[in-house]
Amino acid sequence: MKHTFYRKIIQGLSLTSVMFVFQACYGTPQDFGNDINLAGVVTSSATGKPVKGIKISIENSHQYQLTDSIGRFAMYVPKMESYNIKFEDIDSINNGSFRSKDTTLTTVNNSIYLNIALESR
Amino acid sequence: MNRLQKYIYRRFKKKETEIHDLNYLFWECTSRCNLSCLHCGSDCVRDASIPDMPLGDFLKAIDTIPIPTGNFTVVLTGGEPLLRNDLEQCGREIRKRGMRWSMVTNGYLYTAEKQNTLLNAGLGALTISLDGMEESHNWLRNAKQSFTKVDKAIDLAASTPRLNFDVVTCVNQHNFTELDAIYNYLTDKKVKAWRLFTIVPIGRAKNNPELFLSACQFKELMEFIADKRNEKEMDVKFSCEGYVGNYETKVREGAFFCRAGINIGSVFIDGSISACPNIDRSFAQGNIYTDNFNEVWQTRFQPFRNRNWTRTGKCEKCTEYKNCGGSGMHLWHGEKKNVLVCHTEKLKQV
Repeated sequence: MKHTFYRKIIQGLSLTSVMFVFQACYGTPQDFGNDINLAGVVTSSATGKPVKGIKISIENSHQYQLTDSIGRFAMYVPKMESYNIKFEDIDSINNGSFRSKDTTLTTVNNSIYLNIALESR
Repeated sequence: MNRLQKYIYRRFKKKETEIHDLNYLFWECTSRCNLSCLHCGSDCVRDASIPDMPLGDFLKAIDTIPIPTGNFTVVLTGGEPLLRNDLEQCGREIRKRGMRWSMVTNGYLYTAEKQNTLLNAGLGALTISLDGMEESHNWLRNAKQSFTKVDKAIDLAASTPRLNFDVVTCVNQHNFTELDAIYNYLTDKKVKAWRLFTIVPIGRAKNNPELFLSACQFKELMEFIADKRNEKEMDVKFSCEGYVGNYETKVREGAFFCRAGINIGSVFIDGSISACPNIDRSFAQGNIYTDNFNEVWQTRFQPFRNRNWTRTGKCEKCTEYKNCGGSGMHLWHGEKKNVLVCHTEKLKQV
């Protein structure tokens, strides 16, 4: 940032970083949260075709998403050191019947793209 | 703050004004609302039958911003943003542009399912309005079920560590005696931040004396906030609505600095380009339907960045002016001959 140096000087003069963090009177706090975009596509290992209605969830999080009509999903999730991601067929025999799958990722960037193939039950 | 700190802070504000990095943008994405409160922070005089602004129109405006700064946050406001059925799409498009997004809501329609889809779409911060315990909240919100709904919304928002979440309360005659009760209620719910306002006599609030605090009550409010800040159980603060003299830094983390038009911009429902939604609409600097948003931000906004015009009325000879700078921009309405509320004056009356 072009003015970073100047700001650091001001900060050093005993005033706090609060000067750079603010919120408008009728606004929200600013968002400094770390998150990543977890996206991908779920297909059938037998046919290679996309699967709709598969639930994607992350261990220790309430967030989840269902794949759309072409098997895609995309969700922003809090940045963590590792992710245990669960893929579940929750709509019985609608859209086929597939075994659940768990995937663990230990190294992550700011976005993850996954190609997941599910086996039929 | 000592004299040296005040001096440095004034220099800092001057420099920030010269730089005027935009990193906080309100988008008044709808003027529809599911409540009819006795007071509304968005001025609330617009016709609720006005259609929502199409997402594409807003995106064209923000696409003129060359490189958004690191924490550029788009704040969706209204009306009630949750009435838009394309809110998730709005959020995803904002995130695609390297910006973050947040939302101000009355909580009425905030369910577990909605929170899940909003988080998936990259929602990062949230403000929920709570205007007292059950009776007081329902009175101001003008809806019987309002407290029950907001109670659930607060539980949900507090349950996710991802959201930078706070609760705001407009302090008035009905909830003034409940401040301790609200504080206990929020700490029990593990809410981390609580922001308190007073109500400015504008819009539909203007003729309702029950909404305003006396000078004595205002001072008590400052004392309450200062005490609670010392307890450090929850981040309690006075909003940035005005300069409060000796209470500066006791009731908020930083000293007063109205950043409207300096770091804060807005796009209103009719395309007007301005700063905070509660600022008099006559301050609009352009319109996204006729002007390039970034050009307007870079080259106009003089009344926001040079506030010498506020040296009038009671501000003209005020000794606090160099630190106050005419207080908040939203306190200048109509003819702009005098500040609507002077918090420092109020405190000196006691």
